[in-house]
Amino acid sequence: MSNPVIGYAGMTHLGINSAAAAAARGFDVICFDTDPARIFSLARHVLPVVEPELPELFAEFGERLRFTSDPAALAECDVIYVAPDVPTDDRGNSNLAPVRALVEIVDGAMRSGAALVVLSQVPPGFTRSLARAKTHLFYQVETLIFGRAVERARFPERFMVGTVDPKASLPPALATFLAAFDCPILPMRYESAELAKISINMCLVAMVSTANTLAELCEKVGADWSEIVPSLKLDKRIGPYSYLAPGLGIAGGNLERDLTTVIALADQHGTDPRMVQSWVANSMYRRDWVLSQLHERILANVHDPLISVLGLAYKQDTHSTKNSPSLALLSGLGPFRVKAYDPVVAVDPTFHPCIQAASSALSVCDGADVLVIMTPWSEFKALSPSEIAERLRGRTVIDPYAVLDADACRNAGLVYVTLGVAS
Amino acid sequence: MLTHHWPKATAPDRVVVLGARGFVGRTLLTALASAEIPSIGLSSADLDLAAPGAGEKLAGILRPTDTLVMLSALTPDKGRGAGTFMANLRMSEAVSDALQKVAPAHVVYMSSNAVYPVVCGPISEATPAEPLDLYGAMHLSRELMLKAATQAPLAVLRPIMIYGAGDTHNSYGPNRLRRAAHKDGKITLFGGGEEMRDHISVDDVVGLLLMTLLHRSAGTLNLATGRSISYLDLAYKIADQFSDPIDVVLTPRQSPINHQHYDIINLRRAFPAFVFETIDDGLAKAHREMLAEALPT
Repeated sequence: MSNPVIGYAGMTHLGINSAAAAAARGFDVICFDTDPARIFSLARHVLPVVEPELPELFAEFGERLRFTSDPAALAECDVIYVAPDVPTDDRGNSNLAPVRALVEIVDGAMRSGAALVVLSQVPPGFTRSLARAKTHLFYQVETLIFGRAVERARFPERFMVGTVDPKASLPPALATFLAAFDCPILPMRYESAELAKISINMCLVAMVSTANTLAELCEKVGADWSEIVPSLKLDKRIGPYSYLAPGLGIAGGNLERDLTTVIALADQHGTDPRMVQSWVANSMYRRDWVLSQLHERILANVHDPLISVLGLAYKQDTHSTKNSPSLALLSGLGPFRVKAYDPVVAVDPTFHPCIQAASSALSVCDGADVLVIMTPWSEFKALSPSEIAERLRGRTVIDPYAVLDADACRNAGLVYVTLGVAS
Repeated sequence: MLTHHWPKATAPDRVVVLGARGFVGRTLLTALASAEIPSIGLSSADLDLAAPGAGEKLAGILRPTDTLVMLSALTPDKGRGAGTFMANLRMSEAVSDALQKVAPAHVVYMSSNAVYPVVCGPISEATPAEPLDLYGAMHLSRELMLKAATQAPLAVLRPIMIYGAGDTHNSYGPNRLRRAAHKDGKITLFGGGEEMRDHISVDDVVGLLLMTLLHRSAGTLNLATGRSISYLDLAYKIADQFSDPIDVVLTPRQSPINHQHYDIINLRRAFPAFVFETIDDGLAKAHREMLAEALPT
């Protein structure tokens, strides 16, 4: 068959990157959102999200992307992905109303025989609960990673597709579209696909929690977690891509949502949630590692300290601050002076009552008693420890993600503190 | 976690302290006087909370603008049995009765870390309270009684073992070890003194209590320093305070080793500017005060 027309409803982080990847694969794409202002901006290639290579993708394949806030345009589509954000509250509880509302709009606009694919992250049972015929209804697991969204959308490892009948063939338009990405396609029942997404995230959280637990132990017993990691990655049962970098807990919103969903499902069905609950507790505990270090090393000893913070986003290459450890840190520094810089996130007085914005990564160090690197932006890796040492008033650098070279910092006379190493 | 009803520190109108002659009560009243905060200290001699009609009497003293601090308790050295447990509950019943008659502006209850079981890993306010003895059960019961009795902001503070020269109790901790060294020239430890424990000075407890009053804080907070040391290290630190050599005597271990560590991040967040006394400074101060008290007047 000729190339199907693909639709994306919901110009979210997920929707925009997925649409751009579809265009890059040679498909004509209709991009729909109920917000005309968002559509207006996107049509002019003004992007509301930060992702490496996304502007380049828009520049190269933009003519295949059509933006509209008129749902009637979706009637041209053979496959329509519904990809709104599923907002979560502070505890990670999902609000599914936006995805239901968008499904309803799309349902009313799409032509008979087109495939509707839910792409947003939803709990098991959601897709089957939609009040529509199931023969052309699918759920596809999204595997977006903030900061790597384009790469993940263009070169997926596999497609996991939830259907009403896993043994039946996919509709030709959907099959053609997915086949264009040249990766395995795994059909499964709706609930399996919905839980597959959660299962992936639980495995990732388990690895991160293991790394955090053992990295903390390293700090106490004189070991160095970074020396241990290579031996783990060479173990075939663990693997070279395993998430073993210690961090400041789980952030970003998506993993937290799945943790909450699994605990709620376990509660509902009477299965054992305790391991997942301990991951949540460990995440909260590790989130405050920098605050504890600051109290031990600086706040108890220095009068009226100036604290410099590099990084506000929850991770590098994103503008998102959802559950950002940096903002959590700032919320615990109420009475102290703080200066901050982030390449993308603007300094905001809601982060801290007396926060100052610095104009560059290096100038944030001027006169500070301590430097804290809260987001591992690559820009920060280029900083010279000797220049940092010249500008700081104090000697301490707290760098949980090991952005800077530890030896270079020590050679510059800095007291270097990072996760997983006794110092 | 505490929430502050007064984000900016503000002196309360008047503080009524129950348990005024106790170790913490005396120190608190001195601190309140220094801060020029009006206060009334009530000891059991002034108002026996376990006696009939105590609630009525306390209600006659309380004003709606008061902050009530409840420190009164019969500690385990007064008995560990059901009688002590029930007497403690009667005291709390009287306070609850008073709170229902006169609602003060703020209530602070000094509970105890005895509400927690022996756990592996750091204890925080999220650790489930599952007391192992009647003393812990008493404190947890009192917390619940007061929560049920008042709509006022209620702060529940759960201190670890408190040390200081004025302590009248004799629990296995810095005070007992210091007194033993002073009296006998030796410190005897259980086993090899391997257990790790956190110890907080009475000055730090009162400092945190004062901050709780000044911010009209509500919620539950553990009062710990976040730094545990072994009994053996503690014994040597105490021994170092004396000019004469002190023997540290180890004994055959009778029970399994258990450690206690505290995650104090909620305290850090509640009172970011609070700086703890180091254990070395605190022990030295307690030692000086003990010697000063021992001097003939």
